[in-house]
Amino acid sequence: MTAIRFFDAHIIDPSQSIDGIGYLDVVDGVVDAIGLGTPLKTGKFEQVIDCKLSCLSPGLVDMRVQPADPGSEHLESLATLLAAAANGGITALACLPDTRPVIDEASAIDSLCLRASRIGGSRLYAYGAATKSLAGTEMAELGLMAEAGAIGFTNSTTSIDDSLIMRRLLAYSSMLDKPFIQHCEDHALTADSEMNEGETSTRLGLLGSPSEAEVIIIDRDLHLLRRTEARYHVAHISTRAGIEAVRQAKAEGLAVTADTSPPYFLLNELAISTYNTAFKLSPPLRSEDDRQAVIEGLADGAIDAISSDHMPVDRDAKMQPFGPAQPGASGVDTLLALSLTLVHQGHISMTRIIEALSLAPASILDTTGGTLSPGGAADFILFRPDSSWIIAGANFKSDSRITPFESHPVQGIVDATYVDGAAIFLRQ
Amino acid sequence: MTKQETKGVQSHEATGPVALTSRHLLGIEGMSPIEIRSLLDRGHMFADNPHDGVSDALKGKTIINLFYENSTRTRVSFELAAKRLGGSVLNIAVAGSSVKKGETLLDTATTLNAMHPDILVIRHNCSGAALLLSQHVDSAVINAGDGRHEHPTQALLDALTICRRIGRIEGLKIAICGDIANSRVARSNIHLLGTLGAELRLVCPVTLLPANIGNMGVSVYTDFEAGIEGCDIVMMLRLQTERMAGTETPSQREYFNLFGLDSGKLMRAAPKALVMHPGPMNRGVEIDSATADDVEKSLIRTQVEMGVAARMACLEALVTRQT
Repeated sequence: MTAIRFFDAHIIDPSQSIDGIGYLDVVDGVVDAIGLGTPLKTGKFEQVIDCKLSCLSPGLVDMRVQPADPGSEHLESLATLLAAAANGGITALACLPDTRPVIDEASAIDSLCLRASRIGGSRLYAYGAATKSLAGTEMAELGLMAEAGAIGFTNSTTSIDDSLIMRRLLAYSSMLDKPFIQHCEDHALTADSEMNEGETSTRLGLLGSPSEAEVIIIDRDLHLLRRTEARYHVAHISTRAGIEAVRQAKAEGLAVTADTSPPYFLLNELAISTYNTAFKLSPPLRSEDDRQAVIEGLADGAIDAISSDHMPVDRDAKMQPFGPAQPGASGVDTLLALSLTLVHQGHISMTRIIEALSLAPASILDTTGGTLSPGGAADFILFRPDSSWIIAGANFKSDSRITPFESHPVQGIVDATYVDGAAIFLRQ
Repeated sequence: MTKQETKGVQSHEATGPVALTSRHLLGIEGMSPIEIRSLLDRGHMFADNPHDGVSDALKGKTIINLFYENSTRTRVSFELAAKRLGGSVLNIAVAGSSVKKGETLLDTATTLNAMHPDILVIRHNCSGAALLLSQHVDSAVINAGDGRHEHPTQALLDALTICRRIGRIEGLKIAICGDIANSRVARSNIHLLGTLGAELRLVCPVTLLPANIGNMGVSVYTDFEAGIEGCDIVMMLRLQTERMAGTETPSQREYFNLFGLDSGKLMRAAPKALVMHPGPMNRGVEIDSATADDVEKSLIRTQVEMGVAARMACLEALVTRQT
């Protein structure tokens, strides 16, 4: 039996409404006791750790990470991804299926999860591709992938265009009791588009696509959702109209959830003014009004979760004019610090941000983590929320080093990351 | 101001080379009225002396034309401008070059940079390509058209053309007509003519109107005749034929009917209205031949002529800044 006690920690556990100085006892990788103040129970502990008032919260559950491995290992290996995740305070990550080969069958789920478990560190979960080869036309073997451990289904970075296939996918995933994760984009409206449509796109001469491309798909899917018992999740939501649609659907009682990513609450389309391709993302950076709506949505719960939307991109694919440059950026190294910006700016409480980073995604995906309630896995992090640093892609643990937040000052440093009570990362 | 500009026209021979605040000429947006006016004044001087030897500002300098899109007019214009100033010119047409073999813009930039040119003139189909190039080379960069973004020397030659004929820009009513959404010429002209105080109107089908263009100090018309009503200048833009195949507009026939310029429609403009077109023209699509070739009303040939003068002013200004 291994027992570890963490004391004098600022415990933040939204699942139990704990927010104050307290302690955490971990026995054999499981939370044994947690509470405010000084622990009453005495006992024999192999380790007693003075947290010196650092924050202690459930580890981050990152529900949107694109691994480059298998298929594009030169961009990022699974090992460096997991190391970067641990370094970023992420104890569980959910991987998109857009690898080579595409994760559209059970063996691919097995393979990825098995390789991750051999490497060790953060928990790795995999989504199954909703359609074969992500082509959007034929349903993949969702049932077999679910048996192999797929935690949900998604067509990765594309929407399901065909309404009939979408209806069937929703119905079928509800039968398997797995959430369907949709990247919402009306591809006909966004064809050839280079950025969000507006005055900035007009000035820059970049082809814009209207932000309605998001809500059109959300609205369609919500109509279909009413005919099924499915759980529907909108990935990296970025527009006011889309958020409002989700908010209303929740009020109606539909099983809908949403996540967003730091670029959508910290940046807007004006960032593109110098054609810097690090700002080319999918969905594209939106207007300032949309950015405000994302913050409001996170504050009132219309948006449940924050994901890193980590996407390794070849440097060569970014060293291009803006139009042909590939969208995407790194995210796992900066997820916590960037999210804490909303706390430091006074938009959102610390408990809410931790909820959005851990409890909410864990609940949506029904995974381990997100809580420190006794009897659960001891997946947690220690961090100093006020310590400042300056983001530099060159220092990322991830091999994917392109970030739209280069040189951005942030606050929040992860000092330790624990999975099953064992440290998978300790800051030297 | 009108007087001043007219005076500027008359006294241009007294002006010397212009020094720009920027090392490159990437766009009109952000240029000051003073910079623009002095380039135009210098352009006047070159237009008055359209021959070699008027200045040897580019003597011993190397200018590379790097054209990722086909262009005869602009490339030849730059080449002639550079040669009249005594510069050595190298033309790189992308077809058949290493670019076709997959070399990226930045690799090409690095390669060319190693040969130490003084000025790189780039045309590229991507907006922002000229800026990107300028960030990776030591030489000055002139944007000869980047995607839908800007084509600053075209706007300068257009302004020079107008100035030589009318003597001023301020207060003129100018209609820019056609494919605004996809036009870098339109954007550069909106910035330049607006900066110099023209009253600008955009006239085009609503499907070719870019978002929020009204914020750029222009008024927008979707009725052609109402749009050019009383205008001193009617500037037509080229509409690519593939945009008339039922996507942006229903057909070539409908486009010409609603938005093409002919002598009948031109009656709605000011009595002495002048017609411009950056070329190459689609005769019978956006403009009929009778109007395009009308020596009284059409400035189209003057535009080509002014292209050389305006570009001489730009090339000279960039090397002046370097020395």
